[in-house]
Amino acid sequence: MKKRVLAAFLSMAMVAGLATGCGTPGGGKSDGDSADGKVFRYAVNTLPTTLDPTKGQSIGDNEIQHAVTEGLTRNTAGDVKPGIAESWDESEDGLTYTFHLRKDAKWSDGEPITAADFEYSWKRLVNPETASPYAFIGDCLKNGQAIEQGKMDVEELGVKAVDDTTLEVTLEHPTSYFLSLIGSSGQFAPLRQDIVEKYGTDFAATSEKNVYSGPFVMTSSEDNVWTFAKNDNYWDKDSINLDKCELNYVENTDTQLSMYEAGDLDYVQVPTAYVSDYKDKADVFANGNVDFCYINSKSDNPVLGNKNFRLALNYALNRNDYNKLANADTYTAFNGLVFPGLQAKGTTYGEAYDLNSYSYPLDGDQDKATEYLNAAMQELGIANASDITVEVVTTDADSSKRIVETLQEQWQNALGINVKIRQVTYADIYGKVFPEHDYEIGYGGWGSDYDDPYSYLELFKSDSSYNYSQYENPEVDQLLIASQDEPDTDKRMDELNQAEQDILADGAFVPLQARNVYYMLDDDTTGINFYYCSLNIDWVYADVNAK
Amino acid sequence: MFKYVVKRVIAAIITLWALVTIVFFLVRLMPGDPFTSAKLTKEVAANMRSYYGFDKPLIQQYFTYLANLLHGNFGYSMKYTNKTVNYIIGQTFPYSADLGIRALVMAVSFGLVLGIIAARNRGKKLDFFCVIIAIIGTSIPDFIMGAILQYFFGIKWGLFPVAKYLGFRYTILPATALAFYTLASVSRIMRSSMLEVTSQDYIKTARSKGLSEFRITFKHQIRNAIMPVMTILGPTVAAVLTGTFVIESIFAIPGMGKYYVSSVNENDYAMILGMTVFYGFFLVLCNLIVDIMYGVADPRVRIGKR
Repeated sequence: MKKRVLAAFLSMAMVAGLATGCGTPGGGKSDGDSADGKVFRYAVNTLPTTLDPTKGQSIGDNEIQHAVTEGLTRNTAGDVKPGIAESWDESEDGLTYTFHLRKDAKWSDGEPITAADFEYSWKRLVNPETASPYAFIGDCLKNGQAIEQGKMDVEELGVKAVDDTTLEVTLEHPTSYFLSLIGSSGQFAPLRQDIVEKYGTDFAATSEKNVYSGPFVMTSSEDNVWTFAKNDNYWDKDSINLDKCELNYVENTDTQLSMYEAGDLDYVQVPTAYVSDYKDKADVFANGNVDFCYINSKSDNPVLGNKNFRLALNYALNRNDYNKLANADTYTAFNGLVFPGLQAKGTTYGEAYDLNSYSYPLDGDQDKATEYLNAAMQELGIANASDITVEVVTTDADSSKRIVETLQEQWQNALGINVKIRQVTYADIYGKVFPEHDYEIGYGGWGSDYDDPYSYLELFKSDSSYNYSQYENPEVDQLLIASQDEPDTDKRMDELNQAEQDILADGAFVPLQARNVYYMLDDDTTGINFYYCSLNIDWVYADVNAK
Repeated sequence: MFKYVVKRVIAAIITLWALVTIVFFLVRLMPGDPFTSAKLTKEVAANMRSYYGFDKPLIQQYFTYLANLLHGNFGYSMKYTNKTVNYIIGQTFPYSADLGIRALVMAVSFGLVLGIIAARNRGKKLDFFCVIIAIIGTSIPDFIMGAILQYFFGIKWGLFPVAKYLGFRYTILPATALAFYTLASVSRIMRSSMLEVTSQDYIKTARSKGLSEFRITFKHQIRNAIMPVMTILGPTVAAVLTGTFVIESIFAIPGMGKYYVSSVNENDYAMILGMTVFYGFFLVLCNLIVDIMYGVADPRVRIGKR
């Protein structure tokens, strides 16, 4: 008896001893700063969801693809250069592109990259059987949407490999941002049919289950660290300075900051709570996300269907004060819908159009707000403002709660109405609350996947599946439809801007802020680019000075 | 003894089956589904649902899941495309287990020693010191303990790496932070059960036989006092080995802990089930081992069952 107990404890101790004695599971790996040459190390706080270019659905997914794949073009922070395509011809109606691929373009395993690799990839993207969450990005291709909805055969897609180096692409509408889109969205990267079919559902599950067309190859995807090495078969490898890159998944942003302070990272995003502490050291970029409140214009609450009431909500808000209270001034108070950094008319959208001339003043306007409120109450036959109650729905994230509470206070004080708050989960708000229009006012936001105002304005197109507001304005619809077939890009931009003006004049939603990201970068690192659609950080051309 | 073990094993299997069934149907009651994001259109979401077989009747999905489970197959994650739950567990469990074992060894060995010292010096300064350590351990949550250790030993004094898990030096801070709570509870339980044993007849007998204090403590007191500690070790081992969300997050350890929390937020059904079943299996297994060891160590348990 005694012996048995002793034996049991001894064996337990041995197991424990063994485990403590031998190395950790990740033992023996380099920290990234050894003699690896030029290495760039950074961290993200959300896990990439997939390494399959077609199925990418987050900024993080796409940032990886931007480094390991090469599209027909390469879009570096809005600057579009030839990629696998050496040159291209565009038809006069803007509907057909003929891409001429370079003959020396190779996959990381040495095979040539051909036009067929693009045709295969794009068809895989819109094929319903692939079930890519980002299939809609292929809507710009001829018949893309119909195929994605199962109404047409995938062979009808507007892409055709004429020969090994010629790819003919037909578009649904003239798409002025097409070259920019295919240079920044991994979903348009070439794919090797033999590799995809060889691995089946395991394709790109890990770094070695794929081949790469981009400036870097992925050398490891294990243990929440993704490592990249310069691709020797890349056609433009002389422009690449880094030897390696190491992407760490560090969920805790405080830990990221500590790692940066300890010299374990070369780049870190400053968590919002610490921005004021680091304002001197940190730089900032705008990531293209704008936040606003949707207004369900057809909700059971009749006040929200009233234009004057919606305008009262907009004029009552002092967005500068709001931004200080809700966001500690880390974002930019914003009174529009289209992200002002987008390219338009040879400059930015914000430069081309003076938002303040047609939108609500950032400091609000109490008199106008009262005026609109009184008009609304008269139309609706309501005697007291205190008889009006609206409900704002938000996710349970702390930052969102703070934002909605600030709105509640401002609206109650300025208008004398009652504002209630309802909290739901993120999955609920986009799975049910918004799509099923089960809300009155809802806090949300949008970031674009391509450099064009249409992406933001589409939220208010009456037949769009993103029209959570149930907004209907025939003039806006007409402008948006006209913009799709307008070959004159400047005229098209004016049409889109007019649509934005109309939406704002209707008080269709409550704009709040444009997001900023504060970051710190090691002094020895240069050549990092930032972008505002489909990816944020672009380290492809980064360089690190030897220490 | 054999009959006792068989009965325990059957009870464990039934527990697991009930767990799978309840969780399988409960997750479907959560609002939303795995395919909800701002950008997803209805058509694309429908394509994704049929890709994962959600268009089939729920009861059919349940039996498919059970059949796969019997082959040890947890299915594909719905959030992390092209990755199986088995692969993710296979990748993350070794880290969580490694960290957990280190923390356990630390917690149990130091906890036992502290408990024994406290009991032997009851009411004296040493006892008081042990109480303070126990209070610190139980009252400071692990995320604060982790952050404190990280700040002083990692950033300020630079003695250990701030985060990640690449070798022995990396393991010390997270294992210490994780060990503290268990250490405190082990030491308290050991102390009180030591004191309880002290008043037992066989200790009086040993003392009256004229045995030395050393022999009494080691041969009679500790051996009998350790039983209650074994009882809490079952669930503790299961909990600590299968990953801890907070410590793994603070120290950027690629363990399983994250998936318990994120899979629920993301409605990743396959992952929620996989995590629950894996943890449930571990918990049941650890309790089973404790039960059996109890039977081995204490004859009264076996006889009582007959």
